[in-house]
Amino acid sequence: MTRPSHHFQSTVGSKVVMALSGLGLMIYVIFHMLGNLQVFEGPHALNAYAAFLRDMPILLWTTRIGLLSLATLHIVLAIQLTLRNRHARPIAYAVHEYRQASFASRTMAASGLVLLLFIVFHLLHLTAGVIDPSAVDRLDVGGHHDIYGKLVHAFQNPIIVALYVAGQLGLGLHLTHAVTSSIQTLGLEHAAFNRLFKAAGPTVALVVVLGNVAIIMAIFLGIVRG
Amino acid sequence: MKFTLNIWRQKGPDEGGRFVTYEARDVSSGMSFLEMLDSVNQGLIAKGEEPVAFEQDCREGICGSCSLVINGIPHGPDRGITTCQLYMRRFPDGAVIIIEPWRARAFPIIKDLVVDRRALDRIMQAGGYISAHTGGAVDGNVLLISKDQAETAMDAASCIGCGACVAACKNASPALFVGAKVSHLALLPQGKPERTRRVKAMLEAVDREGFGSCSNQNECEAVCPKRISVRFIATLNREYLRAGVVESGLPAEPESPHAEST
Repeated sequence: MTRPSHHFQSTVGSKVVMALSGLGLMIYVIFHMLGNLQVFEGPHALNAYAAFLRDMPILLWTTRIGLLSLATLHIVLAIQLTLRNRHARPIAYAVHEYRQASFASRTMAASGLVLLLFIVFHLLHLTAGVIDPSAVDRLDVGGHHDIYGKLVHAFQNPIIVALYVAGQLGLGLHLTHAVTSSIQTLGLEHAAFNRLFKAAGPTVALVVVLGNVAIIMAIFLGIVRG
Repeated sequence: MKFTLNIWRQKGPDEGGRFVTYEARDVSSGMSFLEMLDSVNQGLIAKGEEPVAFEQDCREGICGSCSLVINGIPHGPDRGITTCQLYMRRFPDGAVIIIEPWRARAFPIIKDLVVDRRALDRIMQAGGYISAHTGGAVDGNVLLISKDQAETAMDAASCIGCGACVAACKNASPALFVGAKVSHLALLPQGKPERTRRVKAMLEAVDREGFGSCSNQNECEAVCPKRISVRFIATLNREYLRAGVVESGLPAEPESPHAEST
């Protein structure tokens, strides 16, 4: 008889926790994208949405603390497992040829690192507002904080646009392998659903990246104006 | 045909190893890879040099003894075969062939291309068995097993334990091997009594032996000589999760059998 906590300290247990925390973060990323798509409905809709979120501090802070815990857990376990995996083959092959491992699956550590750096940058930029001092925090006609104006200001700068698009590519690459891999780690397989499971990663990645990049490019190309 | 071979030579477990180049001449296209190595070894013996040590036994793809990472791929470039089933006609004449042993911390090199794969045996000893009762022989067809279940169990049971999955995995993970063994026994009624204990014990043994964990890249499936599907890794993970749930339902502190006498 062992405690369930002991069960999750094995490598397979760590993988399961990584998969669950990753899926949690994925759900947030999807809703984040859907919420931000309201930029296409104009300043009033987006600013009202932002105010709506800020009006619920318990929900807002639970989400923030939850995301921080999930990300920390995910990263700590990733580092632990990666070190263990490196340790498992002390002498590398002189020649090694991949047969079917996808590019995304081989670059998970790199795409994860790009993603982490991007998230830190994104939080400093749009949440904390310390990257770009030229962005002014003002109120719109409805008396809400003008998030819309901030976005339009940010994505007129080609450097910011390039950094955000690069971050999205990192996110897309990571999700492409992550979602399908999580399903396998959670032990889900069935002849009737295996094609769906295989397609889940690339599909989620494509939808999230297209949605986010659409916002960035629409502003940059002047389709969405201040 | 003739080939240039770059072969890993290592005198013993604690010695350093290096690549040594050999020329294989007068190779027939119908020779198997191991026969080609035999002929190279004959030449080395004739010259008074130490022959290249490699493992082999049945030479018909069923024993799981032969190994060799050939040009970066365990069991060579063809899918679904072992090294002994690989023929020299598969390579262009004059090709350079790089031959390495399986590389993993859990598979220490014994000599040249021979590695110690007893870590896999120890994983099996931890739980890869069933309890068999003594007594009279059971009548045939007493245990009814559906055709589909029997076929799936057989797909998993076709694992010959060669360790190519470990060799191909960037993390040196034996997930496909353990997945095949656990799935095979979990699918059949004979394997049910130890089902929960087995998966835990075998995965604990995996961690103890210093193997890596599965990153779901499916490289193992591509090199498996028996083409075992990675679906059995999902089954392994599912069995492990199930074991966690089932076990936590047991009494936390069973009473000591001697509690009354103290």
